[in-house]
This record gives sequence, structure tokens and C-alpha cells, in this order.
Amino acid sequence: MKRATQSTETPQVGRSVPRLESWLKVTGRAEYVHNLRLPGMLYGKIFRSTVAHGRIKRIDVAAAQALAGVYRVVTSREVREVIPDPYYGPAFHDQPILAIDKVRYVGEPVAVVLASDPHVAEEAVHLITAEYEELPAVYDEVEAMTSKAIVHEVLRPAGTFPDLKHLKDRKNTNVALEFRLRRGNAEKAFRDAHRVFEHRFSTQQVMHTPLEPLVSVAESTESSLTIHTASQSPSFVRIEIARLLGWPENKVRVRVPFLGGGFGAKLYIKLEALVSVLSLLARRPVKISLTMEEQFFTITKHASTFRIKSGVSKEGRILARECEVWWNGGAYADIGPRVTQKSGFTAPGPYDIEHVAVDSYALYTNLPPAGALRGFGIPQLVWAYEGHTDLMARELGIDPIEFRRRNLLREGRPQATGTVMKDAALEKVLERISVLMEWGKPFDRGAGTIRKGRGIAIGFKACVSPTTSLAAVNVNADGSCIVYCSTADMGQGSDTAMAQIAGEVLHMAAESITVVHSDTDVTPYDMATLGSRSLFHMGNAVKLAAEDALSKLNVLRKELGLAADCPIPDIFKKKYGMQAGNVAGAGSYIPSYKSPDANGLTDNATPFWMVGASGVELEVDTETGKVRLTRLVNVADVGTPINPKIVETQISGAAIMQLGFTLHEKMQFDAQGQLRNASFAEYKIPGMLDLPASMVNEAVVAEQKTGPFGGKGVGESGTFGVSPAIANAIHDAVGVRLTALPLSAESIWEKLK
Amino acid sequence: MTPFELLQPGSLGEALALLDGADTRPFGGGTALMLMMKAGVLRPQRLVSLRNLRLDAIEANRSLRIGAMTTLRALERSEAVRKGWPVITRTLRTLSNVRVRNVATVGGALAHADPHMDLPPLLSALGAQVVVAGKGGERTLPVEDLYAGYLENTLRNELITHVEIPALGKRGAAYLKCTTRSADDWPAVGVAVVLGGEDRIFVSAATDRPVRINDEAAIDALKIEGDLHGSADYKKHLVRVYLRRAIDEARNAVH
Repeated sequence: MKRATQSTETPQVGRSVPRLESWLKVTGRAEYVHNLRLPGMLYGKIFRSTVAHGRIKRIDVAAAQALAGVYRVVTSREVREVIPDPYYGPAFHDQPILAIDKVRYVGEPVAVVLASDPHVAEEAVHLITAEYEELPAVYDEVEAMTSKAIVHEVLRPAGTFPDLKHLKDRKNTNVALEFRLRRGNAEKAFRDAHRVFEHRFSTQQVMHTPLEPLVSVAESTESSLTIHTASQSPSFVRIEIARLLGWPENKVRVRVPFLGGGFGAKLYIKLEALVSVLSLLARRPVKISLTMEEQFFTITKHASTFRIKSGVSKEGRILARECEVWWNGGAYADIGPRVTQKSGFTAPGPYDIEHVAVDSYALYTNLPPAGALRGFGIPQLVWAYEGHTDLMARELGIDPIEFRRRNLLREGRPQATGTVMKDAALEKVLERISVLMEWGKPFDRGAGTIRKGRGIAIGFKACVSPTTSLAAVNVNADGSCIVYCSTADMGQGSDTAMAQIAGEVLHMAAESITVVHSDTDVTPYDMATLGSRSLFHMGNAVKLAAEDALSKLNVLRKELGLAADCPIPDIFKKKYGMQAGNVAGAGSYIPSYKSPDANGLTDNATPFWMVGASGVELEVDTETGKVRLTRLVNVADVGTPINPKIVETQISGAAIMQLGFTLHEKMQFDAQGQLRNASFAEYKIPGMLDLPASMVNEAVVAEQKTGPFGGKGVGESGTFGVSPAIANAIHDAVGVRLTALPLSAESIWEKLK
Repeated sequence: MTPFELLQPGSLGEALALLDGADTRPFGGGTALMLMMKAGVLRPQRLVSLRNLRLDAIEANRSLRIGAMTTLRALERSEAVRKGWPVITRTLRTLSNVRVRNVATVGGALAHADPHMDLPPLLSALGAQVVVAGKGGERTLPVEDLYAGYLENTLRNELITHVEIPALGKRGAAYLKCTTRSADDWPAVGVAVVLGGEDRIFVSAATDRPVRINDEAAIDALKIEGDLHGSADYKKHLVRVYLRRAIDEARNAVH
């Protein structure tokens, strides 16, 4: 197949095309909502709850309203004039636009001040007071199962997901969803096992920390609304805002330019419903830009507890596994129930285990809401099952890589759900880690107060399914090409990848193609940019759209009696007598899928599997407990890389982000549910000096046969193995096992002394 | 942050007069002040910039005289400082980051009285003095006497104009800090050691101000409280470890 184009001799796919937007970004001309100012625009600043759980007795806004320069102060009373039932959410309609009757966490939005000057709005926020009747609160996910403190009196499933319908009107529970999987007979297998191991692991609440904090602007007329927002899910925003207002979708326009990072923070509704209501009330454009610090009170990553139990044979084969996972969803469900279910079924890990039992619970607590963060729950699970795997290997006296080798899921074998593994390069990834780590060679263990250790871990993820992507590809009369898709480019390079895919089909250089950003009046529907789904789903849709355009061009060539290789401009000249017209191709993609049965079983759980593994070499200072990574090796199965350089940076970026979640980052709450470190002086993300001296990031040679040109998602795979590989290496170095993240120097020192 | 007026006096006398006003703060590099204003901890109406007071000279003879408005970066890059007081140059290289060092000033770093900062314990150990000016005239005091507690200095509507550091000579000196979270975190412990003649050892960060100690036994008496950097026990332990390491480094320091 000839893949070359007139302007380049190399194929488009598999080429490290520099990002199309890089020049715009380095010259400061890329569009971000943060830079948007509209004539007459008001700025909103949010007044937030100071108690974790309480009935609102009184909100006094008089002093704020009286401050010179304040346009208006808005509480839920005014919100309900516009939207009588102002509750939103992707899984549950549980989150009010501003708190109604009750507050459920410290930091929950209670009122908003509008002013032309954001400093005046901020000043006025300090003048608002609220009185609460405090209620008992619950913070721990396991306690939430049985706590007398009930976060939501009644459960309100959104109805969009059929498997949540049975939860409607359920009362007196903090369990938003329980996912259950049963395969074989784990109980009996434990009785027959040679050895049984049981461990408990936990993870902490952390935050996404996109460099561009959440920001939205709304402008309105009486019957139409335009929302400019830093969102990963413009189509969802349109549908949900239209639902809240009772308007048709075509009256709500959602525009998304570039995002300065997302990582799952900018999904579903965040500020969009609030700015929409404020704009309709004020009849002026309204902008809310969160500060970095306010993001802690908006969306976070689930803290979790995982009890894992395995039965092992004499030969070191895992016969049975029982998993119980509690997800701390905070005060509002967001996408937590989906994390509970869609990640829950991979809790037993990438191993071939005949007897499996999984119980996974989504819990409400009085903490800031938790959603998806670069891995959709998978890093929490891998943290536990790979620590567990290592502990078992140690106890059994089997080399940790060899133990994994004996138990790894092979191509064609059923995973816990019964879905057969296809195009999941688990063995290749494990073996590559072994080679890159030189696992067979002797290892220097250090001396004196500096001890060295190494460890590995491997994890996998099923892409969340079923989800839909549509795309359009337009070929102009001069032969130039425009791709229309609602995938948000938040730094992952999706514009470039989509241009490469369209270019590959149309034999054009990716650099020559324009990619139009999400604008729901213009670009077709897309479920969202999340969970490493876009390259696969939108990639397939763009490929289909480009193929549709190509076949239309070929039909024209034939109709007009032109040669099969007739240049595109000549087709239009012949057809329209001048440079005129265009050809539009459309593509729509939804993979096949089968819902799990009552036992959580299905033969088609996911359209593709992601595999990620890490190997770590580190030093522990035995006097202080301080850990220094000397080497971090990350290997992933990403199918066939569409853009090898971007794949490499996605793997390294994901691994470094997870490094922060492993060693330093933790939202620290006091006994009243107050966040003690809502600033970057006290919440520490990794800096350049925290990076390992040596880092390798690799994709194995693989192919996703159902993916566009063999490709699949890569955004999250680098996160999977990092945390357990580090804990395993610490154990290797100094014999100390930590089961709770983060792996602080003090927690290591505590165990060493 | 609330709006404020920025005043830019051209002389020390003018600056001191302006500082008498209500809700007025002096403004050096602004790296700490701006964060406090953003957080709403400080809400001054007027800021008095010290930039035009011509206090940014580094004069090295036998001793070192540094203008209070000298940026940390200028001090870090001074050849005279590197030759005569290499411990200062080494310390500055790990102080915050180059963007902060480009604007933060020596005077500001001392007056801020945040015990997590690196210069107060180091300059105290080096036996440095600060010259401060007030409406009643000038006085000179040891750096360690600038501190009354956490974020509390002993200045009385005065401005630091200069820092004077005696010759280090061949004495061994070291400053070590321990961050317990990311590498660029505020330290949990800072230890400054100058050996020879009269040994001068200062501990900071774990304490609410730089505290002089004479030996390891004195660590037990230090008032240390647990915080997000670590428990009191852990930090006390770190002081012990880092003190030993700093003394080793100072003994082996090569000029």
C-alpha cells in the first residue's frame, strides 16, 4: 500500500509528527477559555461551606450585596427560579448547582457573587455568612457502609445507565452502587488450596492538578445559550444543560478550545450549569475561573480500601481470589459508580484464576467528590493486587517475575468476567520489563545507610464500554482537508493523531490537515475524552469518515470519467466548472458490547485491553526513610503507535504523575473534614528534581486488530504499575512493607526503627 | 487579592516615612508577600517598593556587606561570595528555584521570619549582623536576634538596609536541609554549621525560628511540633541525623 503523499515520502501513521498546535502554544496564541473576555462580562466568585455536613439555617448576603461594585449575589433560591430541579450528575442526579437545604462537604458551593471586577466579587464573598445546624459526618469509606450519618437521604440515579435503575428511591444508605462478580466457587477453592494469603491495602485522596484550573463562560439570550468551557465532554455538557433547562439540544452550544490538562477533572458538569444559570439570571455573560486551590473542592481521585485474598496451589498457581473494594466517592457520585463497576471487574488482576469473587462498593462520604483520574480506578486496584502478588511470591520463595509468569492471563484465555483476552500483550510487556531491568543479573544491594532494592508490577485495564464517537471529514475543492471531531486536545496530542489517521486514508500529510475543535453546533457527537478511549473510538470514527470522503471522491472520478489517480482539485473543477464545492465524509463508531449478568459475567466486556507495567530501582536512606528512585522503566501495550514520540511522552507523563501520587501527594483532612493542605505549598506534586535519574518508556510491538491502523489508547497505561513497583522495591531494599499510599519517608522510618 | 496602591520612594527616609501609614507594607521582591496577599492573609492598602533605594550592592573585602535589596540570584552568582563564603553559594543553589531567586531579596528573606527559609539559620551560623534603619536612626543586631517567633520579627517599623558577614576564612561550614515530600518542598529541618574558633550551630524549620545549639544533647530540649512535614518525633530524629551529617560535611569542606 502506498502511504506517501505529495508533500512527504513517509507514511502518516507511525510517524512522529510534531504536534500541530506546538507553534501556537509556544508563541502564546493557542486559545484557552482562561483568556476569553466578552463585552459586559461578569465574574463569579464562589462562597463555600465551612462545615462537612449540616442543614443550612440561614445565608446572609446583605453585606455582600451592599458592597460597591457588586452586581448580584445568588443562592439556590435564585437558581430554582431558572431550574426548578437543579440537580445534575452523570450517574446520579444528586449534585445541586448551589447547595439546597444541606451542605455535604467543606468547600461545597453555597452562593456566588457577581461583579464586573473579580477582586470586588472576591471581597464580597468574605462578607457572606451562613449558619448551619451541624449533622454527624462520615469520612472513611469502610465506615460509610454502616455509618448512621447518611449523606443523601434518597438515592437519585440518573436513568441514563439501565443498571443503576434499581437504586431509585433507595433510602438510608451511603452505598451508591454495589458491583458483584462471581465465577466458579472461590470458597471451596480456598479450602482446597495449599496456601491462602489475605492482605488489605489503601489509597489516599488526591487531586488532578491540571495547570489550567477549571474555567467556564456562559453567554445567553432568553432562548439560547453558548458555553465556552474547558471541558473533556462537550456533548455531555450540551445534553445535561438542555435537560436541566428543558430546552432542545440545538439551543445549547458548547465550545471547547484547548485544555491545559484534564486528567478526568474536566468531565461531565463542573462549572457549566452554574455559569449558565448565572448568565440567564444576570442577562450578561458570566465567567467563573477557579483558583488552583478551589480545585481541591471540586473533583478528586477516590481514596480506597481493598481487601484481597488468594488461594495458591503447591506449584505456585493462583486458584482462587476474593476481592472486596470500597471506593470513597465523597459527597456526590460524579462518575464514581462507573469506576466501581467498570474497574471493579478487573480487581482480580491480569491473572488466569478459575475461581473469583469480587464485591466493589461506591460510597458516599462527607468529603469533596471523587471521579475519574488517569486510570478510572485502575491504579488503586493495581496498587493492591500487585503488592499482594509480590508478598505471595516472597512467602512462597518464588521469583516475583516467575510467579507472575506462571499465573499471567494468556491470549485466548478468559478474564474474570469470562471475556476472552484478545490483543492484550501481557506476556510481551512482562518479558520486556524483565529484559530492561536485567532481572537475571546480580543486583548491587548497597551498603551502610543506603540500601538498594528493585521491584516490578503489571496491571491492565478494560476500556470503558459501550461509548460512541462520530466524526466528519471535509475535503475542499483545492484538495485541502478539515477534520471535525469533539475530542478535546488537553495536551495528549489528539489533534495530531486524528490528522495522521485522516491523512493516512486520504494520502495527505498530517501537517496539512486542519482539525476543528469541539463546538456542538459544528462538530458531531462524542461521548467524552476520557479513559484512553479517543484514539480507538474517535480514531475509528475519523478513519471511517475519511474513507467515506475518499469513496465519494472515487465515485465522482468515475462519474466524471476521470482517471483513478486524478488529483482532487481537478475532480471539483470538472464537476463544478471552477474551484467550488466540497465532499463531506461521515463516520460513526460504537463497539459491540454485552452487559454483565447478575454474576457480573459477560463474553464481551470491553472493546480493548490496555496493559502497563513498571520496574523500579531505588535507594532507601535507612536513617531517614527517604527514598530515591534511580531507575524507572515503563512498558505498555498501546497497539501500534500512531505517533511514537507522543506515545512515549504519554507513558512518561502518566508514570511521573503516578510517582507523585505514590510518594508525596495526599489531601489531608482534620477530624471536622477540613482540608489542611489546600495549597501547593503544602500539597506537593513532583518537580524536576524528583524524577528518577534514569527513565525508560517503551511500547511493545503489538497490534490492536480492531483499532485504527492497529492503534489503541495510551493516556493511562503508564500509571498502572508505578505505585506497587515502588512499594515492592522498598520491601526488597529494607524489608519493610507499606500497604497505604503515599509511601512517605516517615512511614518507612517508623517501620525501620 | 484586593487592589492596592504601589508607592516607589527614592530614598530611605522617604520610605520610612511612608511606612508609618495605616495598612502599609514594605515590598522587596514580593515572592512571599504576594502569596500571602493572594491567600487573603495580608490585605494591605499600600505597598512601599524598596526597589529604588539603591540597596543592592555586594561589597566584599575581608567581610561581606550585602545590600538588603540584593536578589538571591545576584548573591548566588557573585564571584567574591563563591570564593570567600562558598557555603552561601551552595545553599542558594537549592533555595526554592531560579525564578524565585531572580526576584526574591536578601532583606526580604531575613525579615519574613519564616523558619523554613534557608538564609536565616545559615547567616546566623556565619555570625552575620543586620543593619536596620528606623526613624530614630540605625542599629545593628545579630541575624538570630531578628526573630521573635513564627513569622514574627523584632523590627519596629524599621527596614533592613544591609547584612554584614564576617570573614569565614578556613573554617568549615555547611548547611543541610531535609525535605520530606517533594525535593522542592519547604524543609522539615534545616541545619547550619560553622566549625572552628567558636563553633556555631543553628537548627531551623523544625523549630519556630533559628535556634542555636551547642551539642547533640541540646536537641532534646528543642521545642518541635508535628505538622504536615512530619511528626514531632520524626523531625527531632531528622535534626539529629542532619546535624551529624552537616558536621561531617563542614569538617570535610574544601575551600
